[in-house]
Amino acid sequence: MLQTLADTISDYAIIFLDPNGNVTTWNKAAERLKGWTAEEIIGQHFSKFYPPEDVAKGKTELELKTAARDGRFEDEGWRIRKDGKRFWANVILTALRDKNGNLLGYGKVTRDLSERRRTEEQIHKQAQEIFEMAVVPVVQVWEGVILVPLIGTLDSQRTQQLMERLLNKVTETSSPVALLDITGVPAIDSQTAQHLIETVSAVRLLGAEVILTGVRPSIAQTLVHLGIDLSNVITRASLAAGLRMALNILHLNVVSHDSTR
Amino acid sequence: MNHAAISVIKVKDTLMVTMPSDPDDSTIAALQERVLESMERHAAKGLILDISAVETLDSYFARTVTETAQMVLLMGGRTIIVGMRPAVAMTATQMGLKLNRIETALSVDRALEIVDTPPKPSGNHRQ
Amino acid sequence: MIPVPSSGELAIRAENDIVVARRAVRDAATQLGFGATDVTRLVTAASELARNVFKYAGRGVMRWNSMQAETRIGLELQFVDDGPGIADVNRAMEEGYSTGGGLGLGLPGARRLVDELAIHSAVGEGTTVTLKKWRRN
Repeated sequence: MLQTLADTISDYAIIFLDPNGNVTTWNKAAERLKGWTAEEIIGQHFSKFYPPEDVAKGKTELELKTAARDGRFEDEGWRIRKDGKRFWANVILTALRDKNGNLLGYGKVTRDLSERRRTEEQIHKQAQEIFEMAVVPVVQVWEGVILVPLIGTLDSQRTQQLMERLLNKVTETSSPVALLDITGVPAIDSQTAQHLIETVSAVRLLGAEVILTGVRPSIAQTLVHLGIDLSNVITRASLAAGLRMALNILHLNVVSHDSTR
Repeated sequence: MNHAAISVIKVKDTLMVTMPSDPDDSTIAALQERVLESMERHAAKGLILDISAVETLDSYFARTVTETAQMVLLMGGRTIIVGMRPAVAMTATQMGLKLNRIETALSVDRALEIVDTPPKPSGNHRQ
Repeated sequence: MIPVPSSGELAIRAENDIVVARRAVRDAATQLGFGATDVTRLVTAASELARNVFKYAGRGVMRWNSMQAETRIGLELQFVDDGPGIADVNRAMEEGYSTGGGLGLGLPGARRLVDELAIHSAVGEGTTVTLKKWRRN
């Protein structure tokens, strides 16, 4: 009777294990989800469905113990199909006992959550992008001009994000000029300065020019004292001056390599 | 030497080469040979190298292209690289690859405009 | 992307194997869910090291293995050869050590692209270079 019931519920892989964890029954959904046929899997231990690192950690023993103790164990995690492919699953293990309380075995219901996990990962990725946008904004402010209003300092991680987004934007929009505005950067240290120089180099490799704007007196002073060589970079004290320079560059038919400031 | 893989086109007194996406070492070496032959044959103003399809730019590629640019310069021409991919630009910067005597442009059209403008006397290098 | 554990090995015996190595690393890194820029970093580092194997030893092997540590996923690459070996490993890792124009052995550059790079080498004993890079999420 259990077998018939199991067969009619086609979205849930329902199988039964003996007290040691070996498979005793199998249903159609289980075959579809995990790949093995009943002949192939009955008698095998259910740790076959788990990633090797989980088996090594003793996860399967722990699950059986917990189900035996609490009556039930529920978990979400990676499982393995016959072909070796991983899928994200929701699993419920239920201890089955006779009327005297002796353990007969376990019922195991497995649900494939791959679809849900894909959606979750997508949502996570979008949230990440929105977050990154807030943290490192890259905006086209004029035809051919990209503005990056930096706020705070630039550590390695932020620099990576910045460079990726800025370079992609420059390529997508074919913008000849990028304005890196550091008005919102309170103080500049060697690390941030180095990262800025790296960013300038990378944008130049694409064929666009970078103007560092918002270089106020205190920043200029720090840069000189730190011995940072920005002679190779076009800089301006204010964003407005930088914009003016950008438009100058754009209005010439040819991108000028003039080094006058 | 894989001469067949590199085709050099002449556009308005300028040589144009489009690199394939994952050139092997002999193709990269052939680039140098073909460019020098063509520079001589066409007395070209320079070389525009389109690398928009290139996925990997390692030190061998950088070294060969830099040497080629040096030779082109000695023959009176300029070398402009077009279309570097963001991921490639970031990797090259991080590795510290130097592309000396090489200019860069966002597109072939702009590269052709640059070639028409005389370079600064001190050597018009972006890099 | 749901990663699948992967590993493999390929022989480096001919110049074209440098390209084969790049492709194998591109596939492995992409399958493991590395972002586009990190894939490029791994492929570029592999290109440098595969070429070293071919140029200095004539032949060798590239092995790759996915790594998993708690919630982190990564890729490990290993380049092994029975070549002449590197006399002064420290010097080879220095910036600017080269025989003309480029990055010489390409090692300092490659090191900056990955999280860990370890070299075991001695004259007459061959060289093993191991790289590790973790996914950033």
